[in-house]
Amino acid sequence: MSPHSDILSVFRNALNGGGLPPDLVLGAADEAARRLAVYQNNVAHSLIEALAARFPVIRRLVGSDFFAALARCYIEADGPRSPVLAEWGESFAEFLSTFPPLASYPYMADVARIEFARGRAFHAADALPIDPAWFSAQDPWSARLDLHPSVHVLRLEHPAVSIWERNQPGGEQVTLPAGGEIALILRDRSFDVPVRAISPGDAALIEALREGDSLGSAAGRARSAEPDHDPRDILIHLMRQGALITPEQT
Amino acid sequence: MSAFRSDKEMNMTEKSNSLCLAASLACVLSVLAITPVQAQDMEKCYGVATAGKNDCAAGPGTTCAGTSKVDYQGNAWKYVPKGTCTSMELPAQGDGAPRQGSLEPLTRDVPA
Amino acid sequence: MSHLPAAAGVGFKPEHFTAIRSDGGKIGFFEVHAENYMGAGGLPHAQLSALRADHAISIHGVGLSIGGAEGLDANHLARLRSLCDRYEPESFSEHLAWSSHGADYLNALLPLPYTEETLATVVAHVDEVQNALARRILLENPSTYLLFAQSTIPEVEFLGEVARRTGCGLLLDVNNVQVSAVNHRTDPQRYIAAFPLHLVGEIHLGGHAEEALPSGPLLIDAHGTPVADPVWDLYSQVIRQAGPLPTLVEWDNDVPDWPTLAAEAARAEAILRQEADRLVAA
Repeated sequence: MSPHSDILSVFRNALNGGGLPPDLVLGAADEAARRLAVYQNNVAHSLIEALAARFPVIRRLVGSDFFAALARCYIEADGPRSPVLAEWGESFAEFLSTFPPLASYPYMADVARIEFARGRAFHAADALPIDPAWFSAQDPWSARLDLHPSVHVLRLEHPAVSIWERNQPGGEQVTLPAGGEIALILRDRSFDVPVRAISPGDAALIEALREGDSLGSAAGRARSAEPDHDPRDILIHLMRQGALITPEQT
Repeated sequence: MSAFRSDKEMNMTEKSNSLCLAASLACVLSVLAITPVQAQDMEKCYGVATAGKNDCAAGPGTTCAGTSKVDYQGNAWKYVPKGTCTSMELPAQGDGAPRQGSLEPLTRDVPA
Repeated sequence: MSHLPAAAGVGFKPEHFTAIRSDGGKIGFFEVHAENYMGAGGLPHAQLSALRADHAISIHGVGLSIGGAEGLDANHLARLRSLCDRYEPESFSEHLAWSSHGADYLNALLPLPYTEETLATVVAHVDEVQNALARRILLENPSTYLLFAQSTIPEVEFLGEVARRTGCGLLLDVNNVQVSAVNHRTDPQRYIAAFPLHLVGEIHLGGHAEEALPSGPLLIDAHGTPVADPVWDLYSQVIRQAGPLPTLVEWDNDVPDWPTLAAEAARAEAILRQEADRLVAA
C-alpha cells in the first residue's frame, strides 16, 4: 500500500465514524472533527437523497426520518458501486423484505420493485413505435410484434400498484384490492412513466410477445392464463403509448 | 396453446373460442392500423414530462456541491415510521381480519 | 483553453428546459454532469440533444475519482468517451478530488494530500483520461474543509504542475477559492495571484452556506443560494487580470426558477462585457 492509499483508507474509515488519527490533518482535534463532519454529512446526505429520488413512495410511506435511518442501513449493506447513481438500488426491494423493523409491511418490497422498474423504464433505450400502416399488411395470426425496451411487467404479491397510486401527488384514497396485482410499467410517448394494473391475460400476452411469439400464439397463451381474455384493449393501449415496435429493432 | 392444436384435438368449446380469438385479432389489427398516432409536440413533451411524476422516475442526479442540510447522525437511536403507511388499511388477508400494519420502532445501531 | 465562448453559461436542470427553449438565447453555454446522461435513452438524451443543437455544451464529470489512489474505472472512462463522441462538447472537465475507494462510490468530492506521490498519481490519471477521451480536459480546484498534515505542495502549485506535465487546462472555481481560503484562514487574493490564469479554460461561480466554528466561519460549497458578494469581487478581479473567460453559474441544490438563475448569469455576463469593452477601448 502506498502512503496515498493508506491515507485515503484512513479517511474512508473516519467518514464511517472511525475517528481521525491525530497526525492526519492540521488543526485542533475538536475542530478537525467538526470539519470532518462536513464530509461525513456530504456523503450521507447525498446518498440518502439519491436513494429517496429513486424510491419516493417508500420515503412517503415510512416518513423522512425513518427513511434516512433505513437508507443508512441500506448504504452499509449495498451502497453504490458506480458513479451512475440511476443504476443503484436494484437490491433495495429485497433489503426491505428482510428489514426487521418493516416486518409488518410486507408490501414495501413490491412498491420498491415498481419504483426501481420505473427508473429502468425512464432511462431505457429509445425505439421507434410501429407505424400504424404496418398492420394493414399483416396476417393477424402470424404477425410478430416486439415491445419497447422500457416495457416491464411485474407480478406482485401485494396490491402495490394501488398503494403506489395512492401515494402519488394528488393520489386518491381508494380502497385497496385484496391479493396481488400485476404492474405494467413503460415509458410513453411523452417520456412519462405511468404504472397501471393489468390482468393475468394481458400480462401473459405481453410476456409471450417479448419471448418472440406470434400474435396468435401470444393471444392463445393469454387465454390459457385468463379464459375469455380479449387482447384488443391491451394491444390498443400499448400502441397508443408507443410501446409496440417492429421486431427488427431489438 | 389451444390455438395451435389441430381441429381434431379441439372440442367444440375450444373451437368456438379459437374462432372468436381469430376474429378478435383480425379486428384489433384493423383498429391498430388506424390508431391515431399524433406527431408529438417536442417542446411540449420534453417540458411537461419533467414537471410532475417524472422527477421520480428520473431518479437521483449527481452533485458536485456539498450540503449544509445535516442528516441526523446518532448511533443507537430509536425511530418509528410516521409516513402514510401508518394509516393505510390493507384488505383482509387469509385470516379474514383487516390489516393495518403495526409499526415496529427501528431500534438498532445505525451507521453514522 | 477550451472551445466554449467567453460568455456566461449555467448548469442545465431538466425543469428549466421549456423556459430555456423560449428564453435561453442569451445564455452562452450549458453545462451538464456526465453521470446524469449515462442511461441508454429517454428524456435526458432527448433534452440534451435538443440543447446541443442550439448551444455550446460543457460536460462536467463528477465521478471519475481522479484524486483516488486506485486505477481509474475503465468502464466509466469508456462511458465518458461515448458520451463525448455523441455530443462533441466544447469542453470536458473533472475535479481534483476522489469519490471512489475500494468498491464503494461515495458521491462526494473528497480531499487528497498534495505530495510528490499524489502528484504523480493525478498526472497519470489525467494522462489516462486525456488518452481515453482523445481530448484535452480541464481540472478543477476543489473546495476543502480540512488540510492534510502530509501535504508538501501548495494546491495552486500542484494544479499548475499537473497542467504542465499533462498539458491539461484548468477550471478555476472562484467560489471554491473563497470557500477554501476562508476555511483555512488564508487569503483568497494570494491564491488568485499565484494561479496560472493563462491555463484557465472555464470559471465556475456558485453559492455557499456559512456555519461557525470556534476559530471562525466555516463555508460550505452548497450551490444552493446566489453567488456571494466577495465571490463576485474575486471574479471581477480574475476577469480584469485574465480577460473574458467562459463562466458558469452552478446552482445544484434548492434550484430556483429560470428567471432567477438567468439573472445570475446576466450578472456574470455584464462583468465579462465590461471587460471586453474596456479591452476594445484600450
